[in-house]
Amino acid sequence: MSAPRTAPDRSTKNPEESEGMTVTDAPPRQDFRRGLRRTLAFRNISALYILAVMIAVFSVLAPETFPTVDTVRIILTDQALTAILAVGLVIPLAAGTFDLSIGSQLGLAAIVVAWLLGVQGLGLWTSVLLTLAIGAVVGLVNGLLIVKAKISSFITTLGMSSIILAVVSWVSHDAQILDLGQDFQEVATHQVLGISTSVYVMVVLAAVAWYVLDNTHLGRAVHATGGNAGAARLSGVRTDAVVVLGLVSCSLLAAVAGVLLSSSLATGDPTVGPGYLLPAFAAAFLGSTQFRDGRFNVLGTVVAVYVLATGVKGLQLAGAPVWIPELFNGVALLVAVAVTRLRKSGGRARETA
Amino acid sequence: MTAGRGRALVRVDGLTKSFGATRALDSVSLTIHPGEVLAVVGHNGSGKSTLVKILAGFHTADGGSIGLRDGAGPPTELRFIHQDLGLVETMSTLENLGLGGRHGRSPWLPLRRAAERRVARQLVGQFGVDFDVDAPVRELSPAERTIVAIARALQGWDEAETMLLVLDEPTAALHGAEVERLMAVVRRVAERGAGVLFISHRLDEVLGVADTVLALRNGRVVGHLPCSDTDYAGLVDLVAGGSVDSLERRDTERGAAVLRVRGLAGRSIRGLDVTVHAGEIVGVAGILGSGRDELCAMVFGGHPRDSGVVELAGHPLAPGDLRGAIRRGAAFVPGDRHQDGAVMTMTGVENLMAVRVPGAESRWRRLRKGHEAREAATWFSTCGVVPAAPEMELARFSGGNQQKVVLAKWLRTRPRLLLLEEPTQGVDVGAKALIHRLIATTAGEGTAVLVASSEAKELAELCDRVLVLADGVLVAELQGADLTEFRVLHASVPA
Repeated sequence: MSAPRTAPDRSTKNPEESEGMTVTDAPPRQDFRRGLRRTLAFRNISALYILAVMIAVFSVLAPETFPTVDTVRIILTDQALTAILAVGLVIPLAAGTFDLSIGSQLGLAAIVVAWLLGVQGLGLWTSVLLTLAIGAVVGLVNGLLIVKAKISSFITTLGMSSIILAVVSWVSHDAQILDLGQDFQEVATHQVLGISTSVYVMVVLAAVAWYVLDNTHLGRAVHATGGNAGAARLSGVRTDAVVVLGLVSCSLLAAVAGVLLSSSLATGDPTVGPGYLLPAFAAAFLGSTQFRDGRFNVLGTVVAVYVLATGVKGLQLAGAPVWIPELFNGVALLVAVAVTRLRKSGGRARETA
Repeated sequence: MTAGRGRALVRVDGLTKSFGATRALDSVSLTIHPGEVLAVVGHNGSGKSTLVKILAGFHTADGGSIGLRDGAGPPTELRFIHQDLGLVETMSTLENLGLGGRHGRSPWLPLRRAAERRVARQLVGQFGVDFDVDAPVRELSPAERTIVAIARALQGWDEAETMLLVLDEPTAALHGAEVERLMAVVRRVAERGAGVLFISHRLDEVLGVADTVLALRNGRVVGHLPCSDTDYAGLVDLVAGGSVDSLERRDTERGAAVLRVRGLAGRSIRGLDVTVHAGEIVGVAGILGSGRDELCAMVFGGHPRDSGVVELAGHPLAPGDLRGAIRRGAAFVPGDRHQDGAVMTMTGVENLMAVRVPGAESRWRRLRKGHEAREAATWFSTCGVVPAAPEMELARFSGGNQQKVVLAKWLRTRPRLLLLEEPTQGVDVGAKALIHRLIATTAGEGTAVLVASSEAKELAELCDRVLVLADGVLVAELQGADLTEFRVLHASVPA
């Protein structure tokens, strides 16, 4: 979001050196207007315009079911977990690292927490904290394989994803784990002001991630690592630590989402998880086209999650077939990436870390 | 070979090219005949590479013409060997030769290994060399690699056709005997009737191989004569501009020793002692591969060292401990801005603030936009960054202004030791003067400066003292009246 800026007053001589950029000594008011126009420009917040159009269209197509408070509440709650996962994903992506194992990590946390509670009989918070710790360890292993063994993040997390699926199957014997207790169910579904706790958890985590990524030197170090790891290192950024920390944070958030999922289902289901991978990637990449001109960012990602979800929900309520969500998310991911590439051919995610 | 025999292969007439205000080429004319080796010599920025790039079609000339035929017959074919040879290092000579796609077989048919091997042997054999064509190219010596590239470029050429081979700095990475091997190959190509255009800044080797030499200075032809009519000193005079430039020397107040390097050794450096005092600007000269291009990175800790001690104000700097080096007051402006110097996808101010000043800037605390705006205003104006638009993505600034931002990033940390690699590479004349002034001012404030540059003129103008390296050791130390462009150039060239 480009807040109005005051152009530095000492614009220096030599006009032929400036490249297609107008340096202005505009008065603040005009500057503010230009900032506002840039902020509201379609290319900056296209998702919000698309959201508005979708709401209008679906309200006409499904006037009974779509424009209701219930629908809003369902979308908010349903998508809180996808949003948590996508926010987590933004951190390694900003540092130039992929994490393709987030879906199965979510599944791992979902089954582990259920197993600790239902099979091992541990206490509620012990189980939750232990699950989060296991999640963080998975992220640490991913990170160390990338920075120490120098395996590309793509391959590392792809392999990890498969290993995790095997562990999930082993722990759960491919069967659901039931009887997790009413207390545990309350963790995700307890409602405050008619909205379940998952949504609040999402908001808090997103706010923390936004603060660190967009407002601190640490966040800048993350973006610099993603932009040019070599230059970042020579500027005194511990790029290896940034990559590891990014993956650990991402895994931690995936584990939180997994715990909340088991809680809201009141079941440990060994098949959930992988299905969340694509929506999270679609949202993170679509989010990068919003607000920050091609840079991965938390706010854009959260908005993207809900824009995609609104589209899917609207299509379902308007009577579209069941395969629509997959189609919609896949197309959104490809369009988002294509738009980013076309807009700035210079910016590329670091594929090998 | 008798230059001037038969019809000209290429006739370049009044070629002119400007980049912004800089005139890179100013009505350059030349002709090359079959069997002739023409060497183009000149400094960095003299227009050599612009000439090659125009011939290759990468740039379009502003004026002038290039004639590729003279009289009847098909137009002359141009084939290029660029400095980056464009070989796939992990594949064998055989495979690299096949990559040109001139084998005339459908890409779907199976490979004919035996036949290919025979052809490959023959191709490299025509140059009187013999090496394993099945070994990966990265295991070959640099000269052999260049020969593979030449063999590939000459593939499918028969002597009935007219052909010009253009070599851009083919010997930049080679040493003594290697150079001679390559020169023999170049001569052989010419003997078979091709023309050769040969770009080089090593004047000695030019005399050994070329028939004619074309000297460029600031985009103009300052000499075009048969090699038999000149000698080494004559060429240096042409290239450097004849006279020895006398420049106003700063009065140096030499302070205490800030940087002390003892017995430094690593990839390209074999035992080096360097001391730089506060307020002193020390230059590092030498040809590519002499160690010049690695010294600063090794001192800073970015490149590994085999042995040696580096001390900054009495504290040892460990290799790899970049944060420690920065904390001790070291600053490093790398030669490759895109690769190592800056994050092009981030904004000017983000690049400026990339090195956190401890104490003033916290890692976790919220970034202070006001503080950053003030810092950006101050430093962009100090360093003359145009446009003064800190929120603009760095990639959109011109090369000179990107370099100023990188320099500003480090000057902001008030370094005790400023390490510079090619500080004005790819920078226009105005920006260059400004960067030189900034470096001098910084030294004037007591910073020790070590600057490595491939440009002798720059070092002679800027430095108090210049260390000349060859093959990783110190071969000359020039200062005072001895410090001239001519001397630096002269000392850089291995005997």
